[in-house]
Amino acid sequence: MSHDIREAENRVVRHSGLEMAEHWAIALSGLVLLLSGMFELPMAARYRITALPGLAWSGDFIASLYVHYAASLVFIAAACFHLAYHGLRGESGLLPEKGDLRASIAVIKTFFGKGEEPPFGKYLPEQRLAYLGMAVTIAVLILSGLVKTYKNVFAPDLDYTLVLWATWLHNAFFVLFILAFVAHIGALLLHPNWPMIRGIFTGTVRLDYARRRHPLWMAALEPPSAPPAPVEAPSEAAPESAPESVTVATEADLPPSPAEEAPVPPEDEPDGAART
Amino acid sequence: MKASLKLNRRAFLSTAGGAALIGAAGALGMPREAMACRGRLATLIDLTRCDGCDGQAIAACVSACKTVKAGDVPQPVDPIPVPFPSRKVEDWSKRQAVSDRLTPYTLIYIQKAEVERGGRKTTVFVPRRCMHCDNPACATLCPFSSNHKFENGAVVIDPETCFGGAKCKTVCPWEIPQRQSGIGIYLKVLPTLMGNGVMYKCDLCQDLLEAGKTPACIAACPRQAMAIGPREEIVARSEALAKRIGGHLYGREENGGTSTLYVSPVSFADLNAAVQTGPGRPHLRPVARRMAGSDALGKAVLAAPALGVAAGVAGAFAAISRRKDRSGKEE
Repeated sequence: MSHDIREAENRVVRHSGLEMAEHWAIALSGLVLLLSGMFELPMAARYRITALPGLAWSGDFIASLYVHYAASLVFIAAACFHLAYHGLRGESGLLPEKGDLRASIAVIKTFFGKGEEPPFGKYLPEQRLAYLGMAVTIAVLILSGLVKTYKNVFAPDLDYTLVLWATWLHNAFFVLFILAFVAHIGALLLHPNWPMIRGIFTGTVRLDYARRRHPLWMAALEPPSAPPAPVEAPSEAAPESAPESVTVATEADLPPSPAEEAPVPPEDEPDGAART
Repeated sequence: MKASLKLNRRAFLSTAGGAALIGAAGALGMPREAMACRGRLATLIDLTRCDGCDGQAIAACVSACKTVKAGDVPQPVDPIPVPFPSRKVEDWSKRQAVSDRLTPYTLIYIQKAEVERGGRKTTVFVPRRCMHCDNPACATLCPFSSNHKFENGAVVIDPETCFGGAKCKTVCPWEIPQRQSGIGIYLKVLPTLMGNGVMYKCDLCQDLLEAGKTPACIAACPRQAMAIGPREEIVARSEALAKRIGGHLYGREENGGTSTLYVSPVSFADLNAAVQTGPGRPHLRPVARRMAGSDALGKAVLAAPALGVAAGVAGAFAAISRRKDRSGKEE
């Protein structure tokens, strides 16, 4: 059994510390970029945002620029780290797979009571599609932002056509980034996804949830030879539990035998960073 | 409409990008003289020569500018939408004749300063317009890149895409750009909620420069108080003149450097104290470039991709190496 499974705590590690650091670095700096980007429009003074406590600086375009630069430093470094680190390690679990679009539509229908969810791997098909969409959005924002920054610092007379492309791509993808952010938060508000919220804060999700909804992921973590054992009800109340309609019971749902609980050599390094 | 703005917008809108820019320029048969304005230019304003066309109702440079720019500002809609929540409408269309301050219809005007020089009262006239800064925040911070600095040094607003949010005016140390409400693209978007017209300022007669001609104000000056030419030449000429008369320079260092150099027989501190300043009437104080402080952070942002990739590569190889060590031990 993988060391990621903490049977006694009814937990399974979904995100390593490094992955959570990447996620939160990008999420928090992205949020600051959204706000400071909006303040680069002449709106904070007009709409009296400057009167709000702690936001007096929002009407100062150059102060907003400092904030925007500082946040983009974190945002760009974290995004490039993510790309290089996981790319070199061949971790492609979040990249879309064939049939994800159709599967996503089917899953979305289940949120409205139509049909049943299929068994999932670690990530839902719509998560993989959303990841690609967010990655493209972030890539365009970064590239266009770098052109704008280069212009600000070194070349105010940069070719105007290039400046127009960079500006309008930045503006258009800024809107897409807001929509992607809203969709991301919206997905977390869906009841079946609630157990994953804990995961992005603590790195772990409930084991019974993972076995019920992500059996394909758990099958990869738990050896197929695991002998069946009686299912014990999870000790926690289950506001996070999956819908009753989703009942994918596999051998992986079952707690391991004592033999399995013997120390197992880790399949990955201690930070578990290969889980993406 | 300025040819350079047209060309660049066309190239931007064309999916062929740079190829389209070259093609469009060729198709339009851009004159050879147009290329001449692509070098860095600067202007010299010699205050020892300018007499403000004293005695005339309106100075020749101001009059020439108004003539060459006549019709550039379209007639605003009636009624002009009232912006929410500020309710501030700036309508100069009924005051187009105003010539004692900057307005959308007056892109250059003459400031008058009565100062003491060598125990004698003397009058200095200061033609005022956009300074065409070397690194203008008004252009670099425009959220729609409607304002751009061109290779020849001219900072030009594109009235077709300007929303009139007046950010350029806010970040300009002299608050040069002036707004006309009730015109422009904002009327087609969210007229009461976003934007408020179009910003106007001197564009150094970019269209005349591109045609190999001299800006109207410079050409019209009866005392040759203004000159335009290659930047190095104008800077050298300004410095030599200032040295020769024991005078003062303004515009060389201001706001990080500009393409407009004033040479005055009296100090600019004295001039600043004597001229009338306020909305549309810029000061003559020393000005630091506020954005300069953000340049170091901007450079760090430009280095961020390399930092991130380097850290990612190092981390990945360290992790792969640890994994290999571990599997070696297990074997």
